[in-house]
Amino acid sequence: MNRRHFLRLSVSAAAALAVIGCGRSEPLRVGVHPWIGYEPLFLAEEFGWLADSVKLVKGRAATDSMDGLLTGELDAAALTLDEVIRVYAEGVPLRVVAVTDVSVGADMMMVKPGITSLSGLRGRSIGVELAGVSGVLLFSILEHAGLESHEVTLVDLPVNRHLDAWQRGEIDASICYEPVASSLAKVGGTRLFDSSDLPETIFDVLVVTEAAARNRAAAVRDLVQAHFRGLRHVVRSMHDAVYRIATRQAIHPDLVRRALATIMLPELAANQRYLARRGQLEAVARRLAEILVREGLISSAPEYDRLCDPSFLPRSLR
Amino acid sequence: MTPLRLRHGLLAILLLMGVWQSVLPVAAQVRDEVTLGVFAYRPEPVIRERYAPLADYLSQESGVQVRLEVLTQEELTRSLAANRVDFFLTNPSHFLLIRSERSLTGVLATVIRSWNGQSTGSIGGVILARQERDDINTLKDLRNKSIATPGVHYLGGYQTQALELLDAGLDIQRGNRIVRLGNHDRVVKAVLAGDADVGFVRTGIYEDLFRESPGLAGELKVINRQELRGYPFVLSTRLYPEWPLVSLPHVDSRVVRRIASALFALEPEHPAARAAELSGFSPPADYQSVEELARRLRVAPYDQVPRVTWLDVLNQYRYWVAAVAVLVILLAMTSLWLGRKKRQLVVEERRQRTLIASWPQPMLMLREGVLIDCNRAAVDLVRYSSESSLLGKSLAAFSPFVQPGGTPSMQKAESLLAKVMRGEVVQSEWLFVRSDGSEVWVDMTLAPVQEPGSGAPSVLCAWYDISRRKNAEERQRLALRVFENAREAIFITDAHGAIIDINDAYTNITGFERDQAVGSMPPMPLDEGSSILVVAREHGVWSGEFASGRQSGEAVVLNLTLSSVFDESGALSHFVGVFSDITRLKDTERKLRTMAHYDALTGLPNRVLFSDRLQQSMAQARRQNYSLAVLYIDLDQFKPVNDAFGHGAGDALLVEVSRRMRATLREEDTLARLGGDEFSAIVVNIAGEAALQQLLFRLLEAIAEPAWVADHSVEVSASIGYTLYPQASELDGDQLLRQADQAMYRAKRAGKNRYCKFSDAVS
Repeated sequence: MNRRHFLRLSVSAAAALAVIGCGRSEPLRVGVHPWIGYEPLFLAEEFGWLADSVKLVKGRAATDSMDGLLTGELDAAALTLDEVIRVYAEGVPLRVVAVTDVSVGADMMMVKPGITSLSGLRGRSIGVELAGVSGVLLFSILEHAGLESHEVTLVDLPVNRHLDAWQRGEIDASICYEPVASSLAKVGGTRLFDSSDLPETIFDVLVVTEAAARNRAAAVRDLVQAHFRGLRHVVRSMHDAVYRIATRQAIHPDLVRRALATIMLPELAANQRYLARRGQLEAVARRLAEILVREGLISSAPEYDRLCDPSFLPRSLR
Repeated sequence: MTPLRLRHGLLAILLLMGVWQSVLPVAAQVRDEVTLGVFAYRPEPVIRERYAPLADYLSQESGVQVRLEVLTQEELTRSLAANRVDFFLTNPSHFLLIRSERSLTGVLATVIRSWNGQSTGSIGGVILARQERDDINTLKDLRNKSIATPGVHYLGGYQTQALELLDAGLDIQRGNRIVRLGNHDRVVKAVLAGDADVGFVRTGIYEDLFRESPGLAGELKVINRQELRGYPFVLSTRLYPEWPLVSLPHVDSRVVRRIASALFALEPEHPAARAAELSGFSPPADYQSVEELARRLRVAPYDQVPRVTWLDVLNQYRYWVAAVAVLVILLAMTSLWLGRKKRQLVVEERRQRTLIASWPQPMLMLREGVLIDCNRAAVDLVRYSSESSLLGKSLAAFSPFVQPGGTPSMQKAESLLAKVMRGEVVQSEWLFVRSDGSEVWVDMTLAPVQEPGSGAPSVLCAWYDISRRKNAEERQRLALRVFENAREAIFITDAHGAIIDINDAYTNITGFERDQAVGSMPPMPLDEGSSILVVAREHGVWSGEFASGRQSGEAVVLNLTLSSVFDESGALSHFVGVFSDITRLKDTERKLRTMAHYDALTGLPNRVLFSDRLQQSMAQARRQNYSLAVLYIDLDQFKPVNDAFGHGAGDALLVEVSRRMRATLREEDTLARLGGDEFSAIVVNIAGEAALQQLLFRLLEAIAEPAWVADHSVEVSASIGYTLYPQASELDGDQLLRQADQAMYRAKRAGKNRYCKFSDAVS
């Protein structure tokens, strides 16, 4: 289960996963799953802006992409930064070649009315999906609040079961996102914290394996280019893009607009800045690795000289 | 106000005065009314019916009378040109066109349409074809089909479709017949009537028409239908922002504010909104995507690609052009300057090259021990055919393996070059072997030449042919060696004969040391003395043998050759004398002479000397008028002695007999041994025959005495024949001896041990 579950439609993913292109030269297999930040890639595919050298392998959730990278079925994927670190820690060297989006409020913590501050979380039980980005948000919140993870009770629970747990009184707080957040709000939950309080922390990125970066630079460049062309369509032709995204995700266009409001879509220059040697992404990745190691979610931090590689970013958009 | 704005203002005023007779100041319109122009995308009555409530609503809400005018695109454009419109509502493409013409228009709001409870701020295009047209199903099928469209400046009615087709590879602006019909209803009619294969209309028209005449439902189909969730209309293209409501700049800002606030306040449920099928107005959308569309399609206002002339480029990039021009000029000048310098350099270099090449002194250049250049003189010196046969070789390549002095050529060359590399200028004598095998001595000078830009310094090498000097030196050395090592004594004197120099042999022969000899006179013959100098001066040379004395007083015979030496002017400058000690030679000569004239056994003169003496004695006898006698003496029974006692005894007997005979004869007489046991004697100045006979008798007696030889007493006798001289006829010595011989035979025959005189009668 994953936070993008609610935005997901019944993609015919299982089939897509199994498909391994056998063409003139094997295309770069890129694992993607439904998430507003990855929509530029889907748009690029829809408008035919995806080069033949790139093939999107559509999964249902991030775990599909992570598994694909680990088994070697995928050469690249769209993942959150913490997911990238998890895969890297499992032994698949990766390079971040682009930032697709930065979460600004998409992920949040809903609490019962009695809790009015972060310190009020002490001793409470918190529902959280530890395997996903929610885990990272939780630990970041605890860090923010100056709490150790043992000072609260963590209930590892898929987000779609939070409402039940909430109503049964099993949890006092929930790390969640829409539409669970709205459901919790209806039963008296209030938003205590969201990812906009942790600016530039939750990143969605395009990663490629070290091998692909070395051997198939042209295809990687095509992938990144396609993302930015799709992104330009989202920005310039929002009127069109909103309906197309809504259609793919089978939701109302207004929801798409709202979802777009919870993320930032960094354009080229911002990408250059994020991916720089001393850029934000390297720092956040290191901090995430520390948190993940501390909380025992990975055994040890991946060792690398540099995680980000801005060299595949196009100079300009055609 | 900028001048531009002022001009526009004036223009507007002039227009107002010209067009409207009832001229009113612009500001005065606040009180009266404003005109809202609405583009009639459908037949005029339909639009008027829909928008009249909106105009009323705006009048009511804003307090300004809003008059509705429904206009075609052309009418709207004309009205705008006449400033008869204050606000207008039109499609985005038309808006772009107007904006490009006027430059100053502001979008107040963007329309949000509603349909069956769904609202959207997006507009797209629909491609319609009759249902039974089985040949038209996809975009590609539109190739060469006739197209009905309300007009080119319709976003949903033309441009959106054109772009999708362009992306699909169809340029309908070139490849299709396009029928412009003015509004969407006519398009649909044309399609239904079969006048056009397909029709382009904007989103919403299709739904409108179905509502108005439901019978059409089965007759039309939508090509390239996009199923977009949440979008209320059928659609064939991507989406763009809906129509803008635009205010013109001449409208008072208070009026604009009031109208705008009324627009945004319009609720979907309001009758005016319902009538216009709007759900309200939203803040102005971003029309960038529409602009991009127009640009891609090259439709107005982007239909004319501005012709970029050289002047434009020049104008836009004048600083760059100027800078580049300056740089080019500088480059050209630099090139010219460099070219001239280079030519000068070439001339200079050629001159130097010629100079060096034709320089009579051999000159060469070396780098890293190898010749890289040389002139003609160098080639000639080593007698090679061309420069190329020298280049690339080391000095050792045309040198003997070992240089005089014992160092291998290669080693010597390396050590010289090493010194040069340290910056020294090196000079050395060097022996080369020419191509023909002959040798040549040079005085070689090596100097480092640091050429900028090349790593290792070059070495300039000059040769000076010193073969002649070397040969002279060699000769001199040889001469000196001859002088010093000659076995002959050599001395050099000045013009007066005083010794300047001597060699060791001089000292060895004469016993005088050098310091004793120098300054003194050389040995000279006692009788001639320094007159030999005069002879040598006159004849160039004097030579002779003479006796001299050593320092120790010992006699010595010298053989001297004295030569005079003249200087360049022919004046005598020196004498050179060479002499050898011939003392021993003289001794030997004497001994040889003795051996030639005397009998070795007895020491008596032999036949040769006897003949000589006989000649002399005969001559003397004739001169002094006395007689002489020639005796021929032969021993009797000598052979038996020889046989009995051996040759040694025979020889001893001969010596004894000789001694006795010699003792018997007078001093002035000559006794000679002619051979074997035969002797002869010359008895001179005979006093008379009797005296002679007495002598002969004594001789016989002396011979006959017993002799003790080989431990035996031996007795021999002799037979003697004699003859006298002068006789009646003149005789020579031989004849005399023969006469004596004959007489001796007579004596033998007469019984030996006696003497006989020669007489003609007997013979």
